[in-house]
Amino acid sequence: MSKNIIKPTLLYILISGIVLLVIIPLLYLTTVSFSNSLEINSFPKKIVPSFSETILVKYDDESELYLIQRRTPRGDVEDIYLFSDFEKASKYLKDYLNIFASKEKLETDFSAAKTSSEAIELKYKKKMFNNYIKFFQVFQGADTALYNSVKAAIYTILISAIFGGFVGYALARTKIKGKEAVSMATLVVRMFPIVSISVPMAVLLIKYGMFDTMLGISIIYSIPNIGLTAWITRSIFLSVNKELEEASMVFGATKMQTFFKITFPLVIPAFAASSMYAFITAWNDTAVALLLTDRNQTLALLIYKSIGTSSSMHYAASGAILLILPALVFTFLLKNYINKIWG
Amino acid sequence: MNNQLSKKNIFKSPYLLLGPALLFYLMFWFFPVILSLIQSFTATTGEFSFINYQRMFSSPDFPKAFLNTITFAFVSLILQFVIALGLALLVNKNFKGSKLFLFIMLIPMALPQSAIGILWNLGLQQTGWINSFMQKIGLQSLLESMKIINGRIIWKDVSGMKAVFMLILIDTWTVTPSVMIIMLAGLQNFNNEYKEAAQVFGATKFQALKDVVIPIIKPSLITALLLRLISGLQVWLIGVMIFGFERTPFLLERIVYYSNKLRTEESYKVAVSYSVFTLIVVLVSAIIFVKLFKGKDWREE
Repeated sequence: MSKNIIKPTLLYILISGIVLLVIIPLLYLTTVSFSNSLEINSFPKKIVPSFSETILVKYDDESELYLIQRRTPRGDVEDIYLFSDFEKASKYLKDYLNIFASKEKLETDFSAAKTSSEAIELKYKKKMFNNYIKFFQVFQGADTALYNSVKAAIYTILISAIFGGFVGYALARTKIKGKEAVSMATLVVRMFPIVSISVPMAVLLIKYGMFDTMLGISIIYSIPNIGLTAWITRSIFLSVNKELEEASMVFGATKMQTFFKITFPLVIPAFAASSMYAFITAWNDTAVALLLTDRNQTLALLIYKSIGTSSSMHYAASGAILLILPALVFTFLLKNYINKIWG
Repeated sequence: MNNQLSKKNIFKSPYLLLGPALLFYLMFWFFPVILSLIQSFTATTGEFSFINYQRMFSSPDFPKAFLNTITFAFVSLILQFVIALGLALLVNKNFKGSKLFLFIMLIPMALPQSAIGILWNLGLQQTGWINSFMQKIGLQSLLESMKIINGRIIWKDVSGMKAVFMLILIDTWTVTPSVMIIMLAGLQNFNNEYKEAAQVFGATKFQALKDVVIPIIKPSLITALLLRLISGLQVWLIGVMIFGFERTPFLLERIVYYSNKLRTEESYKVAVSYSVFTLIVVLVSAIIFVKLFKGKDWREE
């Protein structure tokens, strides 16, 4: 009897342990991305993001100055800002605490401190996505980088689908010889480190006038993806009912018409899957973009370069979250193809 | 009818369909590979020479980069295989919430490398989240009272193999869940009666695992581990994002260092030599791996 309880309990403890191991780092990353400039420098850091910030305000009659204080995670009180000008105070709270309060609001809120001998406690809502907006201001060219990432992904999708689709069709539907050789070749191509190819590629791209362009790096991203698209589409072309195509031709459709009206709609899911894979390759890459671009960086590359800027790590964390989200969505959509995309 | 069709058939020769892809690979894959071979054997003046390889082999970072890369790839492969197999066998039951569990396990493998770099860089700082977490759960004070540590751990203050092992742990965090998912998929197709039959005939649990379970899930496993090995040999970014260049040299890290950081004609040539060398290392490792673990039909999967 007791054995029946112990085993599942242990299993659940183990499973929760694994889940926590995966979740906790990600939770901290998310929290940092919502942190204000004071939280990012405090220790120990919070696991879950806080939605508001409590400040203490004191007024000194002699100097006629307000003092803003804050409780540290350890429970001490630290002075953070001394001021007389509410305009500047409003700006300070916005820049360092992600609190958006107008000068007038602060004046009325803080007036209670004048009459009180003790510090008064005030709670303000944090503007949660402020870091995400700041990310684009702090890191110059982040918006262009985002645009470039999308552009590179789209080029990669198109190149892979067009070149790979033809091969997939040929492998499934025609009696070409050397199918083995083709499948072997695609595997060998995938084995070659893409960074190794990028170095000599730089010279070629300069020659072709494609260095530092998104088209240039998309070509590299397409190298493993064309083979993969060929594989995914091949299996789908094999499964499309041939009789359906023959029937269409019996009714007088040309082979072209048959292909575009019957076969193609049926294989769209395969192209969707390989497009998502192509998107992930382009979106997640840093190395190729680093070697083959100069001024036109991608979002992943910008995040990579942001590592040196220790004072704005919370903005970098927001950028990292922005980078993660699309990759996450597409990976989940692709999970049926996990064996192939993984590597 | 048939004749008419074939006239209209624009895909007359099936080989024509392979043409565009073939041309693409010739131009953008085969040509660069050949070009890198040629360039690696020419001096900056243009004549045939071994100078680039001499420079590469004689640089003090080369043996370190080579050793680190091999260590990283093989240790992380073995570690991930063992942990993932253990977890997969344990979790291979349809428990409540197993779908959600698999969903969560997918997350780390979806993360872009540079985001992983940010994540762990934030963790390994002295006031980072790892130390914060240790403080919160009381591990910090426990270790301090046991005199194992003195104050917050400076995680980044490691070098050499210790640093490589730290990167292996990060890589293990990133990819083990996905190795486990592949194994689980294999196990779910697997009929438990085989295992029971083996045990009826006197096999121990371990023997049943070794001789029955693993051979059956092997095909999906081999491809997955092969791709894992190949990408393990291509490690560099996480090392650079956490320790910067030169602290933990890897083969690809050297390529990026010589071609992107130094940016002289000479260093470019050394980078090309590193590229060729890495290609050879990857190919040889992959061939050895396949020879060791799989029979003749390893391409099928």
